[in-house]
Amino acid sequence: MFPKQEVVAMLLAGGQGSRLGVLTKKIAKPAVPFGGKYRIIDFPLSNCVNSGIEAVGILTQYQPLELNEYIGNGQPWDLDGMHSGVSCLSPYQAVDGADWYSGTANAIYQNIDFINRYNPEYVVILSGDHIYKMDYNQMIKFHKENDAACTIAVIDVPMEEASRFGILNTNADGSIYEFDEKPEHPKSTNASMGIYVFSWKKLKKYLIEDAANPDSSNDFGKDVLPAMLNSGERMFAYPFEGYWKDVGTIDSLWEANMDLLDPNVTLDLTDIFSKNPMMPPHYIADEAKIQNSLVADGCNVYGNVEFSILFAGVNIGKGATVNSSIIMPGAVIEDGAVVQYAIVAENTVVGKNAVIGEKPENVANRDDWGVTVLGDNLKIGDNTVILPKSMIDKNVGVKDDEE
Amino acid sequence: MRNNDVLGIVFSNTNEEALSELTARRTTASVPIGGKYRIIDFILSDLSNAGINNVGIITNKNYMSLMDHVGSGKAWDLSKRRSGLTILPPYDGKDYSNVLEMLYNARGYLESCREQYVLICNSSIVSNMDFGEVIKFHSEKDADVTVVYEEMQAPQGIERPMILRAGEDGKIDEILITPNPTGVCNITFGTMLVAKDLLLSIVKEELSLNHTNYKKVIQEVVSEYNVYGYKNTNYSAAITSIKEYFNFNMDLMNPNVRAELFSSERPIYTKVRDDTPCRYGLNCEVKRSLISQGCVIDGTVENCVLSKGVHIGEGSVVKNCIIMQDTEIGKNVNLSYVIIDKDVVIQDGRSLMGYESYPIYISKRSKV
Repeated sequence: MFPKQEVVAMLLAGGQGSRLGVLTKKIAKPAVPFGGKYRIIDFPLSNCVNSGIEAVGILTQYQPLELNEYIGNGQPWDLDGMHSGVSCLSPYQAVDGADWYSGTANAIYQNIDFINRYNPEYVVILSGDHIYKMDYNQMIKFHKENDAACTIAVIDVPMEEASRFGILNTNADGSIYEFDEKPEHPKSTNASMGIYVFSWKKLKKYLIEDAANPDSSNDFGKDVLPAMLNSGERMFAYPFEGYWKDVGTIDSLWEANMDLLDPNVTLDLTDIFSKNPMMPPHYIADEAKIQNSLVADGCNVYGNVEFSILFAGVNIGKGATVNSSIIMPGAVIEDGAVVQYAIVAENTVVGKNAVIGEKPENVANRDDWGVTVLGDNLKIGDNTVILPKSMIDKNVGVKDDEE
Repeated sequence: MRNNDVLGIVFSNTNEEALSELTARRTTASVPIGGKYRIIDFILSDLSNAGINNVGIITNKNYMSLMDHVGSGKAWDLSKRRSGLTILPPYDGKDYSNVLEMLYNARGYLESCREQYVLICNSSIVSNMDFGEVIKFHSEKDADVTVVYEEMQAPQGIERPMILRAGEDGKIDEILITPNPTGVCNITFGTMLVAKDLLLSIVKEELSLNHTNYKKVIQEVVSEYNVYGYKNTNYSAAITSIKEYFNFNMDLMNPNVRAELFSSERPIYTKVRDDTPCRYGLNCEVKRSLISQGCVIDGTVENCVLSKGVHIGEGSVVKNCIIMQDTEIGKNVNLSYVIIDKDVVIQDGRSLMGYESYPIYISKRSKV
């Protein structure tokens, strides 16, 4: 018997995140490292805990191994309660009806039993690719006050960017009258943040109807929400103020990391929980120079580091320069190498005097410039040059017998 | 003998007097060290890494901070269903007057454990020791007692250390209790492996004869039993005085020392705190320093060990200091050779200068 939980959170973590390229080749997007010691999923998970939500389901499908291992029993987030906590929900087989998750709504539909165990009043649907801090209680309170069937969090975006988002058009009282997916001529600047609060009874009804509809793509945005709106359900937009960033692309992931170094950005990392590395404090050597950077435990810095983020156990060699880059756990930048405007994934070794990426101002044609990405566990040979905007997923400049 | 047939006993109060201010309100075991650690982290990790599942920590007084730090023992994987960490405080209302009494009081715990052997450790030694090797050595030599020793410069702070003389096969000929030795010698701090029954029978017998001098008892044991010496060749530091405490922290600037002490095969575990990565400001200058997560550095830091959550304000110059967790150093502060305890506030513009041979100590929660 499970004690009743007023709110259950369901975190959609099954997508491939193909726009992150080599970074999500072997791991799901929510498991991508972020901000020096976190992974993207730490943000929604910590938000849940800080909002007092104690029952969380994580829907996994694409490359779940590392994500499952990372979540473990949920202890780092205090989600290891006796009758609550975090559960990783992968697709399963059953006598009938069970299969791969065919869409976001289908993933929740297939886990109706999981949610029912807690007999909740409300279900919060979250996605695993946004960086933000939010008190979901405020949104649930708003949902209750409006006696809504569904509440969607929205953020005010600049008009010129509005056509990149799902835009919600609302009446004066905040009720939604229209969804506008990536509109060419946006009528408003209320962009959906992909955070939904549903009254569970209503959601269950629409999920079952959606599953019975053979023409549906089983997606919240495309199918379930429009169906609810068409049936005249009370749907509201909850305005959120604060830092929020979708990190679904290389550029936005890099920018969100760099935002952490900007004193004008309001995102504060305290109360974001994560699994902590068991490593000694980091060491800054005599010959090192370090400014405006974030550094995790276990690093050894002998070179120059500025405007960069070093994850746990990173080594920066003598005379090496790391500028405006993100160096993920265990990566090694050997002596004399220059890494600029780049993301170096886990355990990759950049050889001596190699040159990775470039400053935008040093590239003649701006279209040739972009953030350089090196995949995980690679070896980049000594003196190798990797051009800006490259995405590398195999060893470069290494003789066969060295591999 | 399998490693899980051995249980660990850790004395948490060794050499308290010599560490004076650092142990005014805490045990030797819970003295913060090496940035993010407490002294006991090393011995607990060594025991856990050797597959030892049951560890009893003998405490005498001031053990609140110790209990807070070790908690259930989970951080060291010492919180299993059938075994784990146990704190053994005095239970007759009196402080212990000697080590034999402590062991005698722990007899109930010792008897209740399934393990047949006891590894006795103290909390003055910081080392990444492979106790698996000690256990192997003990069985190979068919020893009654194996005493672990270090070949090192005689440390300050211990008035009469135990110096041993061993034959080529490792059998100990005698243990000398020498006042103020100098130079390099084979010193033991009392780490030893012994069968549980033998230990208990020795403790009971000696106490019944009113023998309370632990070192004298060990000397006697050497003459009566088959006692072998195991030399710990890994880096080890004896934290037996403020000077030694300071030197050990500074030793961590040496990459070889760090590599040996924090090996990836035998990690050193500690209680985890959710700190953000360390943040370096726009105008900071940092050299030759060991810095933990949660720090925010806007000033100049040289030759320092900073624990979790230390803030160094703009324009401040901090050199040769050991700063414990959550201490706030304001702007334009000048510090050299200062050991600053937890939660201290040093206000803007202050200057404090110690000397290499005599670092200043600022106690917990002070405001300067």
